[in-house]
Amino acid sequence: MIWETVRLSLISIRKNVLRSFLTLLGIVIGVAAVIAMLTIGSGTTEKVKADISKLGSNLLVVRAGRPAGPGGPGGLDQVTRPLAEKDVTALVAHLSGARAIAPASQKQVRVIFGTESLTSGVTGTDSAYLDARDWKLVSGRPFSDSETRAGAGVCLIGETVRQQFFGAGDPEGEIIRVNRTSCRIIGLLEPKGYTGFGQDQDNVVLMPLAAYQRRIAGNRDIDNIYIAADDRTPTTELQPRAEDILRDTRRITPDRDPDFSIRDMTQIADAMASATTTMTGMLGAVAGVSLLVGGIGIMNIMLVSVTERTREIGIRLAIGAHEKHILIQFLVEATVLSLLGGIIGILIGLALAGLASATLTIPFAPSPAVILLAVGFSALIGMVFGFFPALRGARLDPIDALRHE
Amino acid sequence: MSAPLLITFDKVWKSYGEGEARVHALAGVDLAIRRSEFVAIMGPSGSGKSTAMNIIGCLDTPSAGIYSFMGVDAGRLDRNRRALLRNLYVGFVFQGYNLLPRTTAAENVELPLIYRGVSARERRELAMQALAQVGLVGREHHTPAELSGGQQQRVAIARAIVTRPTLLVADEPTGNLDTARTHEIMELLTRLNAELGLTIVMVTHEADVAAYAERTIRFLDGHVAADTANAEAA
Repeated sequence: MIWETVRLSLISIRKNVLRSFLTLLGIVIGVAAVIAMLTIGSGTTEKVKADISKLGSNLLVVRAGRPAGPGGPGGLDQVTRPLAEKDVTALVAHLSGARAIAPASQKQVRVIFGTESLTSGVTGTDSAYLDARDWKLVSGRPFSDSETRAGAGVCLIGETVRQQFFGAGDPEGEIIRVNRTSCRIIGLLEPKGYTGFGQDQDNVVLMPLAAYQRRIAGNRDIDNIYIAADDRTPTTELQPRAEDILRDTRRITPDRDPDFSIRDMTQIADAMASATTTMTGMLGAVAGVSLLVGGIGIMNIMLVSVTERTREIGIRLAIGAHEKHILIQFLVEATVLSLLGGIIGILIGLALAGLASATLTIPFAPSPAVILLAVGFSALIGMVFGFFPALRGARLDPIDALRHE
Repeated sequence: MSAPLLITFDKVWKSYGEGEARVHALAGVDLAIRRSEFVAIMGPSGSGKSTAMNIIGCLDTPSAGIYSFMGVDAGRLDRNRRALLRNLYVGFVFQGYNLLPRTTAAENVELPLIYRGVSARERRELAMQALAQVGLVGREHHTPAELSGGQQQRVAIARAIVTRPTLLVADEPTGNLDTARTHEIMELLTRLNAELGLTIVMVTHEADVAAYAERTIRFLDGHVAADTANAEAA
């Protein structure tokens, strides 16, 4: 009975291909928009999360300057005491639950090899930096302790720098000029790609902190201290411990605001991801409005269909169809119609999302839950908006319906 | 000797409109039709014959009086119960055939069985039997557009008898057909009446068509004007 009805409705849809297609367009566009939005949105969320985890998972970043917050000015608009060597030493000595602690200072500097030049992010740090940021070497070796201590003229380069200067060649052992100093390449960093903000994370040169301070920055300041938590310690626990130690070394009494900030990258990742999700949800809801329009289109065409087939309804009623048989027939037809629109919409939506993720270099993340929801929702629209026309058909008087031309 | 009553009208009225504009399509009709009778209903337009036929076929209900079908007060039943009654006991044949377009002969014949919840295989089987009874073997998969008028009417008759009904209601079944086709269809109906014991109530304009029936009821102005047994043709 139900298959008979589904088959019947497919026949009637095929009979009016153009009309059915135009009717479906509303549903197709609505579902396609919702699917594309949600798929692109969840891809973006994944991208943001991945970007932040590229900075290193379970990472705290210490910066000089007061944390931005209610009642206080932002951390960057005032002259503050920079971080110093002794802050790092204190953390290394006293902070438990940290896997790696690394100081880092960075600056955009022109890097030259032969006749080629490139403005690159040059970072002075030590060998713990790679560990803290979960960054591996493709080839070569990290700085040795003695190179770090001495501030030797050695460096590690990122993939972008390698491509710019050496093409397919092996950079190891080559000497590049960084500002007015020069350094020998001892290793190549694993590529990390772009951040969500479009920053190339592979356009970097790492050198020992002492070398950077002496030859590039010209001071002893440290911009950031990276603290990576070990597997057993959540960053939320590590953060207050690190703050206590830094207050101690920087002599800040508990009643005063600290002159440094500790940012929890995990929290930032979560916050950004949830912001993206909210945004996605809102855009999806807007797209959902067009589904309503599509539903009204279905209702309209079903009313036309019921009128056109009044005689057929009359025949069916005369030979013993119940009201419910007629109701089900038109309800199934509306549902099949709108489901068909939903499926086409899903395919188009996924194609759009695929195209967008290729262009925006975000992961293509179709969600089975969202797709199922779209299928269910389009079926529901068919049922809801098909109900009134179907009821009208079912309530026809068989005698009048048979007389209808 | 005579068969039991299938249909009785007891002072049946059917009225339309209100007040001054009130029209009586049937004005206190008394009527009885026995099982296995072949009855022709005649009369000019507006005589009430179509209204009577609709009530007999349980499509319509009287405004007053009692219409009893198989001993059931069918005039008091709601539309879904009447639909069930039609599905179980009544077959319809119309002047315009009223087949579903773009649907094969076999599928058209199966239609009433779908509403009975008969399985697809059994439906196909019964439809083939019915098509054989009306002499349409080999045309099962033709659509109405591919069949002649006479053949379409045979499909319609097959659809009406596939449920093995007690009563066949035919509304000018030969109205759209030429003389030769008319003769064939009437032969078929006469045969079904004789072989299956099928009660047939047929509305017609033409006296020679009515002559195939055993009995002719003439309607005039909402009354039964004449009710005569036909001379046996054979």
